[in-house]
Amino acid sequence: MQDMSKQRVVFAWVTLAPFLILFTIFMVYPLIQSAFLSANQTYGPGTRTFVGFDNFTNLTEDPLFWKSIGNTIIYALGSLFIQLPLAFGLALALNSKKLRGRSIYRLIFFSPQLMGLVFVSILGVLAFEKRAGLVNRALAWITSNPALLEIDWLQSNIMSTLILISLWLYVGFNMIYFLAALQNVDQSLIEAAEIDGAGAWEKLIHVILPSVRPVATFVVLLSMIGSLQLFELPFVLLDGGGGPNNKGLTIVMYLYQNGFEIGDLGYASAIGWALAFMLIGLALIQIRMVRSEELAK
Amino acid sequence: MTNPFDHLSEYRQYAWGHRMLHSISVALISLRSLSAGIWVIVALFLLSGIGVLFSTQSKSHKLEMWVFSPEHQAMYLPMIESQSGDERIKPHLSLLSIAAIKSRMMSGFFGGLPTADLIEVERSTVGQAFMGPIEAIGFRDLTDRMESEGLLELFNPPSLSPWSVQGRVFGLPHDVHPVMLAYRADLVEAAGIDLEQVETWEEFFDALAPMMTDADGNGINDRYAMSFWYTQPDNVELLLLQGGGHLFDAQSKPTLNSSINAEILSTIVSWCVDPSQPVIDIDEFSAAGHQARIDGKAIAYLCPDWMCSIWKMHVPLIAGKMKLIPLPAFKEGGRRTSVRGGTMLGFPRSSENFDTSWESAKLLYTSPEIARELYRSVDIITPVRSLWDDPVYDEPDPFFMNQRKGQMYIDLAPNIPTRTSSPYNTSAVLEVRDAAVNLASWAKSNEMYQPEDLEAKALELLEIAHQNIVRKMARNAFTGVEN
Repeated sequence: MQDMSKQRVVFAWVTLAPFLILFTIFMVYPLIQSAFLSANQTYGPGTRTFVGFDNFTNLTEDPLFWKSIGNTIIYALGSLFIQLPLAFGLALALNSKKLRGRSIYRLIFFSPQLMGLVFVSILGVLAFEKRAGLVNRALAWITSNPALLEIDWLQSNIMSTLILISLWLYVGFNMIYFLAALQNVDQSLIEAAEIDGAGAWEKLIHVILPSVRPVATFVVLLSMIGSLQLFELPFVLLDGGGGPNNKGLTIVMYLYQNGFEIGDLGYASAIGWALAFMLIGLALIQIRMVRSEELAK
Repeated sequence: MTNPFDHLSEYRQYAWGHRMLHSISVALISLRSLSAGIWVIVALFLLSGIGVLFSTQSKSHKLEMWVFSPEHQAMYLPMIESQSGDERIKPHLSLLSIAAIKSRMMSGFFGGLPTADLIEVERSTVGQAFMGPIEAIGFRDLTDRMESEGLLELFNPPSLSPWSVQGRVFGLPHDVHPVMLAYRADLVEAAGIDLEQVETWEEFFDALAPMMTDADGNGINDRYAMSFWYTQPDNVELLLLQGGGHLFDAQSKPTLNSSINAEILSTIVSWCVDPSQPVIDIDEFSAAGHQARIDGKAIAYLCPDWMCSIWKMHVPLIAGKMKLIPLPAFKEGGRRTSVRGGTMLGFPRSSENFDTSWESAKLLYTSPEIARELYRSVDIITPVRSLWDDPVYDEPDPFFMNQRKGQMYIDLAPNIPTRTSSPYNTSAVLEVRDAAVNLASWAKSNEMYQPEDLEAKALELLEIAHQNIVRKMARNAFTGVEN
């Protein structure tokens, strides 16, 4: 009996070992190293100066850091209030048994995910190009107004362009989560509501929404975390910079610029830790909200 | 009498060995129960691991050289092959992307790891290597070696500036990249306009004004005098340098808030916001931009020497329709050229083969054959002054209506502005671009379009840009800049 339990323990360690070794090398060690780095300045090879909490105090006074936070929050709110309702609306439409060719529509809406973020970003650059881009051409053609060809999406309307492209990219992705949740809604509840004379709106508010709430909470959290980590889309769209007046500068882009363009890995680490604390805070708020909802039940 | 504890210690050793053997046998028994699929994965893991371990390239070359341009690689290979002597001193060329060179180079410098013996670095990525104190720069200081071998005089002096820190040279210049103005001569000559006599930007725009018409009456000009916009950082820097502006002084201290910068910035922003708007933003590298060039949407383009080969490759339809003239000056008698882009060859300190690398580098960077090939294949003129009388530069170029383009660029080469090697230059250029964006929107909202009306506001905006760079630099103790 004792042999069996030992055998299981040894087996567990043997199977866990590859993961633990890689996790320690690629996650634990860099995490500890970045904590040390955040207390140093590293301008140039072989030049490390201990600065204590200076990097963090500098962050609080750095207007670009606050600008990047502001931009990221605007993008996150755009995701939350535009992307998720759209994804839910699409899921409702595609869940309807009356709609023909639902599978094809699902594939179409999900397909940007199959292409990959960088590829979609490159297509976004082409679509939102001034004069020659598909978007401006379509707008000018629909309105018969050639002046619309001159809309400078990538210079003057950066945040709205980012949100529009992310809609294209993520609406279909989030739709799949909502669709799965909708398909799990207890049909007997809907039938009971119908017998009680509930219309489509009442069914949505009183039956469907409460049923999909756990999935919606998960999707909101996922979307917020994804938004705070936004990097590839503006990086490709704005050619590695933050765009005019840094209107497209996000937190992770600012981290990248400091670490890999200016070369101050210490300051970049401090930005990374600030972002990590934000994400942890967000997750804690989310967990508390879920718990208080459960308690209320 | 024996010590009873000796037996105890023997017993402990025995027990420990027994436990180890037991654990190993238990582990083996556990592994026996694994499915065939897992064994396949383990076998693949082991095989691929062994494959990777033993697949390192055979080291037949002693020297390693990284280049980012396929054209450079194609030029260097025959020259390297023709080198006589030991095969092992011929550099092995690796073609990598600019981003890959930057990340490998910086990882090597930061981690003290070996990199290549010779690295070609593009100007936009070299700044990070010059960060920190001069003694910590990852590249070897070449000044004394160049001086003792007479190379400092051999190269075009302003072409050394982007690779020099505090007067010390850290790279051999690959090019000069002077800038001229290329224009659609077929359209201009058909309109009876002569641009050859134009000397200033004002004269240039005045001369082309009759061509900026709106034939279809849709409110948008059919043609514009020049392709330029204040949101293009490279071209903003190019014009700023041409007009005598500068973002850093000789000690690499920021000088964004100078009155000359404000003057140039007001002038170039006025080109874009003026109701007659003589300029348009045509993308330099996209298909849409190339189509606009074919359509003659803009008549003139800022044209560094390397741009010629890009057009020859991507816009062959404008061949035989273009001509070059020196850039019009901002003021009469002013500078008629500028500079854009550049590459250097650096020698990492970590390399143990400096002497051999140096000989190879001299061969590649000062040979007449390579210089000739550089011009023939990518239209780039060499920075080696003694080679400027090579007949190749006198050859007529059919793309530019048989102008002797090489000689025209060479005539301007000594006058290109000197540039900074400050690692903060990219940030500074972007700050100036932002100042230009804000100046343009201020001008539009206040309906003020003349350069002199914009100058005070430009100075104010450049002061903000200057403070932003000062703040950034002040974090770095090695810059000597204080907040």
